[in-house]
Amino acid sequence: MIELKNINKVFEVNKNNKVIALQNINLSIDDGEIVVLKGASGSGKSTILSLIAGLSKPTSGEVIVDKKHIAKLPDNFASIYRRDNIGFIFQKYNLISTLSVSDNILLPLIPLNLDFDELNSKLDIVINRFNISHKKDSIVKNLSGGEQQRVAIARANINNPKIIIADEPTANLDEKLSLNFIEQLKELKSLGKTIIIATHDPLFFGLDFLDREIAINGGKIVL
Amino acid sequence: MKQYINLYLLEYAINSILRQKSKSFFIVIIFTILVFLLTSVFFITTSIKSELESTVESLPQIIVQKMKAGRHYDIDVDALDNILGIAGVSDGVARVWGYYYFENAGVNFSLVGLDEYEKQYKDSFSKIVDDFDSAKFSDDSMLVGVGVKKIMSKSYYKDYFNFIKPDGGLKKVKIGGVFDAQTSLESNDVIVMSKDMIREIFDIDDSHATDLIVKVANPKEIPTIAQKIKLMFPDTRVITKDDLKISYQNIFDYKSGIFLALFIISLFTFFIVIYDKASGLSSEEKKEIGILKAIGWTIDDVLKEKFYEAFIISFISYIFGVGFSFAYVYIFQAPILKNIFVGYSQLKTSFELPFIFDVQTLFLVFLLSVPIYIFATIIPSWRIATLEADEVIR
Repeated sequence: MIELKNINKVFEVNKNNKVIALQNINLSIDDGEIVVLKGASGSGKSTILSLIAGLSKPTSGEVIVDKKHIAKLPDNFASIYRRDNIGFIFQKYNLISTLSVSDNILLPLIPLNLDFDELNSKLDIVINRFNISHKKDSIVKNLSGGEQQRVAIARANINNPKIIIADEPTANLDEKLSLNFIEQLKELKSLGKTIIIATHDPLFFGLDFLDREIAINGGKIVL
Repeated sequence: MKQYINLYLLEYAINSILRQKSKSFFIVIIFTILVFLLTSVFFITTSIKSELESTVESLPQIIVQKMKAGRHYDIDVDALDNILGIAGVSDGVARVWGYYYFENAGVNFSLVGLDEYEKQYKDSFSKIVDDFDSAKFSDDSMLVGVGVKKIMSKSYYKDYFNFIKPDGGLKKVKIGGVFDAQTSLESNDVIVMSKDMIREIFDIDDSHATDLIVKVANPKEIPTIAQKIKLMFPDTRVITKDDLKISYQNIFDYKSGIFLALFIISLFTFFIVIYDKASGLSSEEKKEIGILKAIGWTIDDVLKEKFYEAFIISFISYIFGVGFSFAYVYIFQAPILKNIFVGYSQLKTSFELPFIFDVQTLFLVFLLSVPIYIFATIIPSWRIATLEADEVIR
């Protein structure tokens, strides 16, 4: 279960310029839920995702995931928490463009120093599930946007995380590819994963398999 | 059991170096050149210093030279009897020697007169007397150093050499043998022959010698005995081993100064590269660290990977630099750089830089290069890795 309690986040641009990104956010997401955070650009959706993933810390308030206070974790523990629990699909995919598809997908596993066979079997599962096996030796920068996104999804799932976070996942895709992504989300939900999507793409609104849509505006949850 | 070294991380580091081929190649080239320069400077100075040290060690305790109006003239051999009478003097030798200018090759040979039955004033000469049949450096034969042999051969003097005497006549001397003394700097230009032949070549009569060598039983008494000799023969110049050491050291220090300047320039360039490296990462590099952190790499993982990268680059450059330096100094005999040190080589036969495996030098160059580069790489990576991942990838 994910809980955000009284979260405030202020970005300090410089001494005289502070941006309030989130104000008094209270939110809880149950295990296996699929939630869409919707709102315009700059509304604070991505910041909420960052806090849940432990990529940044709130200015005040608590982020609790499975009873762990994520915001209080030291940096190295926050990384381990991400590696073990979170699969993050970034808006711009954040792949390493000069590496091959399989190398990108395996990146989260490198520090674990697993056996070669175990590594390969994990790779085979995700590249087949997300239909990218035919491109596994291709260099990422040579792939299309849709293919790159599938690599990003495969990488987010290589560790079989409980929570999948997707930040504007269809921002760089055409409608057909966006619908494909939605199908993949369905599949991930069927695997029992908790999924949180930040988007302003109308394609996501009103989908039958969504559990909740939460509107964000000006750093606040709008009921 | 897990392996201590994470080979995937090592593979990623190698991959990362290869992904930035031109940048990595440029760093390796610059780094190799700097290590090469540093190591070469150290190798040459170590070699020449060792040559000079062994030369200085074999110098006579006191040399007495006859002076006339500040110029060096032949000294009366009888003076030696008086000197031997000074308390504390254990031995003395009247040396017959001289520099012979071989115009054809533009070099000076040092002609040294030895008599087999005499006690030699230098260990290297005793060794020559022991090793060679006296017939090879008496009558009409001489022994020559390796360098002399090379120069004579170039001028087609393979079996003998014609010395031009002061009266214009020729003295034909056979090459009886070639010796390879321990200290090539001193011995390379040396020719050993009988004192009689030297007297003939330089026109020195039997009652005179080039100079006198004095041996003192207690080295602490050298300055006092030198003073006594000077008082006894005011028209002489009395040179002690310490005086010679100082003059050798002065030449070496002067040449070292030039090398020091070279060394400082190399070091300065190296630190500019290091400063550039330490002052920041490219936006690509920063983003990559951010991505790695975002997908679950810890700060330690990032730093380990950066350590491998820096170690591979710096160690390869170190090996190349040291390897090239070995070849340059000891195989090719340090062209250009050696001439800075042996600037008077036009008047002296060439000598070879002796191979000295100095672990301290290699360790010093290693310390001055590899760890500094590793720190310069890791520090900016650490700065980025400790930021919030979200801030880095945004």
